[in-house]
Amino acid sequence: MDAFWIIITGFLVASSTGMLGNLLLLRRMSMMGDALSHAVLPGIVIAYLISGSRASVPLFLGAIIMGVLTTFLIHFFSARGKMQGDAAMGTVFTFLFAVGVILVTKYAGEADIDADCVLHGEIAFVPLQTSAFLGLGVPGPVWTLLALLLGIQVIFWSGYKGWLITSFNQEYAKSIGIRTALWHYSLMAATSVATVVSFESVGAILVIAFLVVPAATAFLLTDNLKWMTVLILVQGFLSSLLGYFISEWVEGSISGSMAVASFIQFVIAFIWHKKRGPKSPL
Amino acid sequence: MELLWKYITLEDPNVRYVALAIILLGGISGAVGSFNFLRKKTLVGETVAHSMLPGVLIAFMLSGVKNPFVLITGAAISGWLSIQLVDYITNQSKIKGDSALAIVLSSFFGLGIVLLTVIQGKYTGEQSGLDHYIFGNAAAMSPLDSQTFAAVSIAVGLVVVLFYHSIKAVVFNPDFAASIGINTKRIDSLISFITILSISVGIKAVGIVMMSALLIIPPTAARFWTQRLTVMLVISGVFGALAGWLGAFVSYSQSSMPTGPWTIVIISLIAFFSMLFAPKRGVIFQRWSKLQLKRRINEENLLKSAVQCEIKGLGKLFNHQSINKRQKFEQRLWRRTISRLRRKKYIRKVHTGFTLTAEGRAYGAEIDRRHKIWEIYLQRRMQMNVHLVHDEAETMEHFLTPEIEAEILGELGLCSRFNPILEIHEIVPES
Repeated sequence: MDAFWIIITGFLVASSTGMLGNLLLLRRMSMMGDALSHAVLPGIVIAYLISGSRASVPLFLGAIIMGVLTTFLIHFFSARGKMQGDAAMGTVFTFLFAVGVILVTKYAGEADIDADCVLHGEIAFVPLQTSAFLGLGVPGPVWTLLALLLGIQVIFWSGYKGWLITSFNQEYAKSIGIRTALWHYSLMAATSVATVVSFESVGAILVIAFLVVPAATAFLLTDNLKWMTVLILVQGFLSSLLGYFISEWVEGSISGSMAVASFIQFVIAFIWHKKRGPKSPL
Repeated sequence: MELLWKYITLEDPNVRYVALAIILLGGISGAVGSFNFLRKKTLVGETVAHSMLPGVLIAFMLSGVKNPFVLITGAAISGWLSIQLVDYITNQSKIKGDSALAIVLSSFFGLGIVLLTVIQGKYTGEQSGLDHYIFGNAAAMSPLDSQTFAAVSIAVGLVVVLFYHSIKAVVFNPDFAASIGINTKRIDSLISFITILSISVGIKAVGIVMMSALLIIPPTAARFWTQRLTVMLVISGVFGALAGWLGAFVSYSQSSMPTGPWTIVIISLIAFFSMLFAPKRGVIFQRWSKLQLKRRINEENLLKSAVQCEIKGLGKLFNHQSINKRQKFEQRLWRRTISRLRRKKYIRKVHTGFTLTAEGRAYGAEIDRRHKIWEIYLQRRMQMNVHLVHDEAETMEHFLTPEIEAEILGELGLCSRFNPILEIHEIVPES
């Protein structure tokens, strides 16, 4: 039963982050997952210092607020400060991470907190977090992730046309009067929430992987955005299944194994894509 | 103060190596990062730094010892692989650079995490300290480390000096570089080589994230101060070294504080400062020059309108109402523009309104003249409709320099002192 819940958790994370990763990939912002995973640290520490507890809700809020703030700062530095886009991202997240580490070191003596506790969640513990909700024996994180997935599906499909236009052609979208900044920030807010929620149950590295690898695999196999989302779900499911068995086999980290499994599928798709030959010289 | 003195003179042998090492490291990575920054591959360091973890661990598993040279070799090999893979993915498919970086980063680091857990299960005790390759451990730096960094900085310096021109060409325009016979592949590998070299030696000292920050932030800050590559390399290196020096001092004066993060916070502050205050490219300067431009345009518009009123025979006196018929001014804008023009002595107040001074009249007439010249040019050379040229000229009148003006007049075959105070329709178009 434990294996079942772990695989389900992996799949849920893959499907919610994968949908967003899809859009991030088209907008050339795939490194956002990596940036957010580092940048939310000070938010977590500050939330901890204010609330004085390790209860997950305040830490959650702290991380989400910091995530949104991060995306805002990155956008601000590149748009107003005229920083090169990738440099703005790099500067903001490394700075925030450094601040977080300093705060952790400063309060390490009086507080039981470290970067590991939130950023490096461990998927193996998911089945242990039983929840009384509805009395079905479904672990707590699964409920949370289910709610997250539902929210993201609603956001994705209700704004489908807007996402399509703003992701494929910003300039065109702007010229026909679509408020691209609004769409940008909605996506960034959704990404922040999704990553932070997922960190807690599966750890940062798997979230970063699931934000980009399934989407990239699907991108190699099809040009159709709807088919891409289907393929992402399949990729995510196979990653968690395969990853779980790899980890059993080598007796290593489950999250890491799932990331590796995801990459293996990417490599297969890549080889297929190459064999079929590129459609255009570009 | 005494502490600072002790720190500067490096009296304390404990701080000597740490400080020297981190200063060197900041300098090297600042310079090396500039190349990646200019190639728009700023985040490549982040991916390489993460991708070194499996290399370190495999080297440990194969050799069974924690010899830093063995582990660093492992790190360098897997870092090299990661760069090759990123390039291969971007060149051979429609996947873009940023996605390739994220894919390789997460896969390699994921593999690293798996290996780390496997090692923790198999070995007992001997493996402790391997996590320094993730989080860094500046306090444990030894004389050997600063010697290594010194050797690396010499190597990097040599590479930069020997291949400066080729690197410069490749960084700014790879197609141009290839066309003049530079082997761009070799230069790319060279840049990758110095990147990997600096990351692999630095990672144990400051950790993955701090190492990539040292490659990202100093060039970002330096870019605000200069347009020239040589200057940028120097500034970036100096910023990196300065931050390292100050970061080590914070850690020295407050024993519990970590060196790496403080170095990053300081270099970030330098970057924010540069973004705001750098001359020419800084935010404040740009805002200021935009404001100045807006002001100048308003002043010129007002003077021009006043001159036009005079030409039309509406008298030498003008006020808000009479100008508003030609050029709309909001109440506040009017008051501010008027007061600036009075200060500059372009206009004078006369009991019921204002009148132009001689300078103001000459200035306004000059703007009017440029406006007309541009209108004529558009009609004759661009074959534009008479009714369309006015709006175009409204903008251009503020930007025509005397040199361009002379050239236009020459091209139109007009005397350089040509003054089209006649109405526009009186000028007969050519042919």
